[in-house]
Amino acid sequence: MKQNKLLIIFSFIFCLLLFGLSDALAKSSPAGKSIFKTKGCSSCHRRKGPSVDKEFSDLQKKKGPDLWFAGSKFKAGFLATWLANPVPIRPMKFYSLREESVRDHPKLEKEDAVSVAKFLMTLKSKKVKLGVVKAKKSASGRIIFEKKQGCYGCHKFKKGRNVIGGLSGPTLIGVGSRLNPDWIYAFLKNPKDFHPVGAMPIYKGILSEADMLTLSRYLATFK
Amino acid sequence: MVNLRAFSLIIFFVLYSLLIPTDSWAAVKFVSAKENYVFYCVSCHGPKGLGDGINATKTQPVTPRNHTDAIKMERISDEELLSVIKDGGRALGKSTMMPSFSSTLTEVEILALKDYLRELCKCVGK
Ligand code: HEC
Ligand code: HEC
Ligand code: HEC
Repeated sequence: MKQNKLLIIFSFIFCLLLFGLSDALAKSSPAGKSIFKTKGCSSCHRRKGPSVDKEFSDLQKKKGPDLWFAGSKFKAGFLATWLANPVPIRPMKFYSLREESVRDHPKLEKEDAVSVAKFLMTLKSKKVKLGVVKAKKSASGRIIFEKKQGCYGCHKFKKGRNVIGGLSGPTLIGVGSRLNPDWIYAFLKNPKDFHPVGAMPIYKGILSEADMLTLSRYLATFK
Repeated sequence: MVNLRAFSLIIFFVLYSLLIPTDSWAAVKFVSAKENYVFYCVSCHGPKGLGDGINATKTQPVTPRNHTDAIKMERISDEELLSVIKDGGRALGKSTMMPSFSSTLTEVEILALKDYLRELCKCVGK
């Protein structure tokens, strides 16, 4: 009898420990991390920063965008949805000026997509202050985007019912649900923190920080 | 004794290389005008400078300048070429769809690009 009681108590404690452990593990999402490795995501994406790109040829060698700041760049809900149904974000293949994108990104099962997304959202950059920039439609934002700077020279976006713009940059259609406006602001201010080499002109010194803030808020309303 | 000296030398060089900011290497690296043109200009002005890059879609308000058009290009002075690369179309009262590259390219790179444009048009400015 005594032994039985001890056994029950011990197994109870054991279960509690296991529970706590698995919970702690789930928080650091090793499931997502190990799926990231086993599915070969690391062969095309860097999950550790900072970027080591130094010259144009380093970009041509890359097979996919860096993900070491994914947790600061993306909206929490976006990644899980996209990984299960990855429709092209860049109209052209990665850093290609000739070949158009096709739907060929590896696709994940819904459950895996959720755990990988959870893992990717833990990859934050210290350079991005979170929760500061909020979406806001404004005439001044539109003027900076369309007139003061021709941002759509390289980016597609929806103007009313029409889709207009260039193709060399990632599409800006749906940015409101894809990108975290805090990251957009940090990226406009200091693009080299994320892309030491990039094909987008640097606007630091050309647009004021106030303009960049207005612009980031405005982009965050893009459907 | 010798080993220790070699060791301290190695330590010295490792520390020294850590002290140099990695950025400075990038700044030292020479990028030719052609490389810059391919990386920053071709997306709009096209691989041969004909104004037919992938960004020159039908939905754009203006077409990028054809850089091989000698008649149009010789009307623009060297000074004007430099200011349009630095400050964008706005500098010459043209469209802002031509971006400013003053924060992206160095003074020296912009000068070299101006010469490269003259090679493309096989012309001299007014
Ligand atoms: C063969 C190379 C390759 C593999 C393998 C690969 N990706 Fe990608 N990934 C890309 C490319 C190229 C893009 C850009 C696609 C686009 O813009 O439409 C991309 C885009 C992404 C993006 C959006 C990033 C951004 O900045 O827009 C995420 C997130 C992502 N991949 C996650 C993953 C995950 C998770 C896996 C593993 C299941 C994976 N990728 C496997 C090449 C790859
Ligand atoms: C000359 C072409 C060009 C112009 C002009 C341009 N961009 Fe970009 N943009 C790019 C490219 C290319 C990228 C991909 C990152 C890189 O290579 O720097 C990018 C990336 C971005 C991103 C991140 C998108 C993502 O999903 O990763 C945002 C946001 C953005 N640009 C906004 C703007 C704004 C706002 C302007 C105007 C002030 C602008 N861009 C002007 C080419 C351009
Ligand atoms: C986002 C697309 C885009 C990019 C990138 C771009 N240009 Fe342009 N550029 C244009 C457009 C559009 C015009 C025509 C403006 C007009 O006619 O109002 C133009 C015009 C010009 C002109 C002629 C100005 C005049 O007075 O007619 C020069 C010179 C020029 N660009 C050089 C360059 C160089 C050099 C680069 C690369 C460093 C470059 N451009 C990158 C779009 C672009």
